[in-house]
Amino acid sequence: MTPTFTKTATTIASAEGVHDLRTVEYRGAVMNDSDAEIRDQFEQVLLDRIVEALTKPAKSSSSGSRARASSGNRQEVAFKGSADEVNRFYFEQGWSDGLPIVPPTVEKVHEFLKYTDRAPDEQIAVLPQANLRATPWNIAVNAVMAGCRPAHMPILIAAVEAAAEPDFQLMSFGTTGMIVPWLLVNGPIIKQLGIEYGVGLASRGPNPAIGRGFGFVIRNIAGFRPAETYMATWGYFPPFVFAEDEDACDKMGWKPYHVEHGFAKGASTVTVRSTGSWGPQALNAHGTDAKYLLDIMCDLQKRITLEYVAIPFGPLNHATVLITPGTASVLARAGYSKRDVATYVYENTTMPRRDANTWGTPEAGLAKEVDAIFKLPERYEAAGPDEMIPVFATAGEGTVDVVVCGDPYKDKITNFWKNYNKPVTKEIRLPASWEKVFPRGM
Amino acid sequence: MYEVLSPLGEPVVQAARVVRRPSDLNGKTIGMVTNGAFRSDIIFPIVQELLQKRFPDVRVIPFTEFPIHSLRGSTRDLLGRIEVTVAALKKAGCDGVITGVGA
Repeated sequence: MTPTFTKTATTIASAEGVHDLRTVEYRGAVMNDSDAEIRDQFEQVLLDRIVEALTKPAKSSSSGSRARASSGNRQEVAFKGSADEVNRFYFEQGWSDGLPIVPPTVEKVHEFLKYTDRAPDEQIAVLPQANLRATPWNIAVNAVMAGCRPAHMPILIAAVEAAAEPDFQLMSFGTTGMIVPWLLVNGPIIKQLGIEYGVGLASRGPNPAIGRGFGFVIRNIAGFRPAETYMATWGYFPPFVFAEDEDACDKMGWKPYHVEHGFAKGASTVTVRSTGSWGPQALNAHGTDAKYLLDIMCDLQKRITLEYVAIPFGPLNHATVLITPGTASVLARAGYSKRDVATYVYENTTMPRRDANTWGTPEAGLAKEVDAIFKLPERYEAAGPDEMIPVFATAGEGTVDVVVCGDPYKDKITNFWKNYNKPVTKEIRLPASWEKVFPRGM
Repeated sequence: MYEVLSPLGEPVVQAARVVRRPSDLNGKTIGMVTNGAFRSDIIFPIVQELLQKRFPDVRVIPFTEFPIHSLRGSTRDLLGRIEVTVAALKKAGCDGVITGVGA
């Protein structure tokens, strides 16, 4: 492997119980090096190291025991110090993002635990890739650090449950193409907790703190550390939180996201989704022509979707169209339901057939044996080079979702896309005392 | 002064048993496993050739003989493929496995 992946390999192996993984590093850009350069490095250097890796006596099996012992009791005090010292310690441990944190004391954690009926040590999930157990206790520690409020706990617990579902494929998030998880909140909890759904929503109200809290869970429980086990080439922007403008949906006769996905309108839900970019924002979504607006969505989607992976990854694709209420109302007035809009984008985000097979040059691409995986569906093989084919050809219905949010007075559309997972929605379970306690926990 | 808590999750996976490594590859079987990407079709044959040149009695089973861990599929698919691959490696009598490549 290339040197930056050694930590990834050993950490993942350790998470699977293998504490003596042997690794050999290729010093070069393997996808750009010539065949001769590759051969030379193996002949001159790497063969000896491979042989050593295969034959060097194994370490004592006690290494695994030590790894477990050093994890210690999570409910014990891990460090004592001033606020500055705590921040330095957490940063040095890789537990924080380097920005100031709120010191997670026992008292603070107990305050947060009042906002769930789950026992502090109940297993909420085991999160890949570190395969560590998430509990209300350690979720609360991360939430405190992030600057969340106690009443955000039910959202974070539900988000952890959702992220642990196999369909979300959290174990793939370490890939070099950036995957940022994000949360969509629906239901009455939006207004109860003041979660922003209007202008500037990702950057306002409690949204950034909840996103940061979820990001700390991804870092400390799922074990994704940038440049160690979370390998996006240029790093990440923080996970973010949106809520839907459900009043606007009601007004135009559109179902909110959670109702579209089978939940009761009175339920509160959180959905985990992901994106590989902060998509370009259409600045030309003017006017009252619905077809024109729909085509803008398709154009944006085409610009951010890498068709040469979208097609082979099939149902793992998911796209999100974010649309402001005013712009959405043009579509609603023209008779389009939210699902109609999503279907339009699914069917009309197209590309010329000739662009569909562009996974590098043949010699630098995939092993010939797996070429079949990246073949187009049979029905497109016969298409001429200029024929337009759907980008989401293999993805299936439900690939695209529409979310109404953002400045109600602006004409804006933007899209997200990623090809590694499916969104997962969970109902947010509130404590029995919620109505009484939530105003104090905000 | 603050007394603060660890944010880490709790380990649940037990350490795997560590088997004895062979001291010489002659007479041993080495399997190769890939996801098909990152030049593995170039690299693995080179490694196979060099290993066989140095250890005339080593048996190297190329990656084409094992399931390809493709880049796509759900976690369930992936875990299923891992089980199948582990079974295939055991059936082939592999004493060691070379896998990767991360890049």
